[in-house]
Amino acid sequence: MTAVLEVTNLRKAFGGIVAVDGVSFEVRAGEILGIIGPNGSGKSTLFNCVLGQLQPSGGEVKVDGRVVTGFRPSDLNRLGVSRTFQLLQVFPKLSVRENLILAGQEHQGNMLTRLLGPSDAGLSKAADQMIDFFKLGHLADEPAGGLSYGQQKLLDAAMAFMGGPRLVLLDEPAGGVNLTMLGDLKARLAEINREKRATFVVIEHNMEFVMSLCSRVVVMAEGKVLAIGTPAEIRANTAVIDAYLGH
Amino acid sequence: MMRLGGIVVAIASAAAIAAPFFLKPYGIFLISTWAVLTIAAIGLNLTLGYAGQISLAQGAFVGIGAYTVALLVPAGVPFFAAFMAAGLLSFAIGWVLGYPALRVQHHYLAFVTLAFSTLVFLVLRNEEWLTNGIYGIAGTSRPTLLGWQTGAARDFYFLCLGVLALLSLATWWMLRSPWGRAFVALRENPVRALSLGLDTRRYTLMAFAIGSSLGGLSGALYAPLVQFIEPSSFALGLSFNLLLMVIVGGSGNFFGPFVGALIAVLLPEWLRVTQGYYLIVYAAAVMVMMAFCPAGVLGLIERAGGMLRPPRKAAGAFTDGAAT
Repeated sequence: MTAVLEVTNLRKAFGGIVAVDGVSFEVRAGEILGIIGPNGSGKSTLFNCVLGQLQPSGGEVKVDGRVVTGFRPSDLNRLGVSRTFQLLQVFPKLSVRENLILAGQEHQGNMLTRLLGPSDAGLSKAADQMIDFFKLGHLADEPAGGLSYGQQKLLDAAMAFMGGPRLVLLDEPAGGVNLTMLGDLKARLAEINREKRATFVVIEHNMEFVMSLCSRVVVMAEGKVLAIGTPAEIRANTAVIDAYLGH
Repeated sequence: MMRLGGIVVAIASAAAIAAPFFLKPYGIFLISTWAVLTIAAIGLNLTLGYAGQISLAQGAFVGIGAYTVALLVPAGVPFFAAFMAAGLLSFAIGWVLGYPALRVQHHYLAFVTLAFSTLVFLVLRNEEWLTNGIYGIAGTSRPTLLGWQTGAARDFYFLCLGVLALLSLATWWMLRSPWGRAFVALRENPVRALSLGLDTRRYTLMAFAIGSSLGGLSGALYAPLVQFIEPSSFALGLSFNLLLMVIVGGSGNFFGPFVGALIAVLLPEWLRVTQGYYLIVYAAAVMVMMAFCPAGVLGLIERAGGMLRPPRKAAGAFTDGAAT
């Protein structure tokens, strides 16, 4: 299976503090890779380096075999790499539908055609399908800021899929979401992965969520990769149990 | 609600068309000033209200536009060519001024634009060979459009009103397009916007450039309106006044600049009955308004409208999936 994402010896230092220290892994086409680790282990910094939010201090990132180290997030998005953030990142004053149209509009035409073309960039239908898929239909015209935290989390995840990405990096998608909605979210992600062959990388603290959704798991500790393996292998890894999972 | 809004716009448009027939020359001058400054305020509302990029330089762009016309028209350039040149020059300078906004934000950006405003004032005052310095430039003639002479106050007002209508429509078109959504995204969350593929650099520069060009076009009408321009007219005071128009009217609200400019132009005149105290009363009124209604007059009206509507269920209560 070909690698969609290859991270090689990635390093990020903030002054004397090394947040990500020589991390290497690859994500194969169509898989869901989980990244777990204690708080401060460098997971989100790793995401930010991969996605261009931070410039890495060293190492290399490849998407579909192409070196993209230091690319801007907008350029990576147009290459088919999308993400969500640890904290909610919806646009509160725009409606749910407009949030979704916004999330896909830059993949339609160019600046000039977006100015002169239809106000919805031809995305109303796709946005409504996404709204239905994530069970937000009754909220389509509500300002996103008026939604509950869990609903905003769903919208945040839905926005990541509007551009039809090949690779989606989700940073703690289950954080603060209740059990009912968590089940919905997991089912939606599994379905997109299955139907559209989208590839995911998921940072998450919810072990049940990660172990049931992901085909492989990377464990990080103190900025380094502690272990990589299937959920069963990770559960049985004594170093991981000692450092993170506990007995 | 949309229908009510349409009725209000229709009534306001009819009032703007009828007004000069009931006003004396000074009154027509005031509403012409309103029309001209509203164009500049629309530009600032785009840059600040929609795209969230603070600018204290809009008055300087009015000056650039005014001097462009005041210099080109006597040199034999047709007014409408000079008018377009004012817009294009302001667009280009605004684009360049947008670059600092790619690096700094908020009060730091305010100081960058403030410095630019001071720079423009110094050029207008000191480069006498070009601008005639503190002596200013008098007598910019009013144009003739397809045989229609706009020399009379009422005719020139209608020209200003027509330009305001055209530029308002163009701005409305742009704001309802994906660009408008992108500008709002830039204001609300530039980091997320970038991760969704928005070229935030280009949109930031566009917001500055288009907003500035509207300032320049406003200035291009200002010079033939007042017939005499000099540097101090375009110093920081005008930039602050335009900022006041945007904030008082309702920043980020399409009609905010129309209302804000009306208040900023007419309220001091109405308060002249208080004689020497009128500026003090005006300042106090602005302070009270900002303290109790930071969303501006239109924000206040929207709030009042919201209170009159029947209450509805909160969005978060619709599903059982909400985290608590």
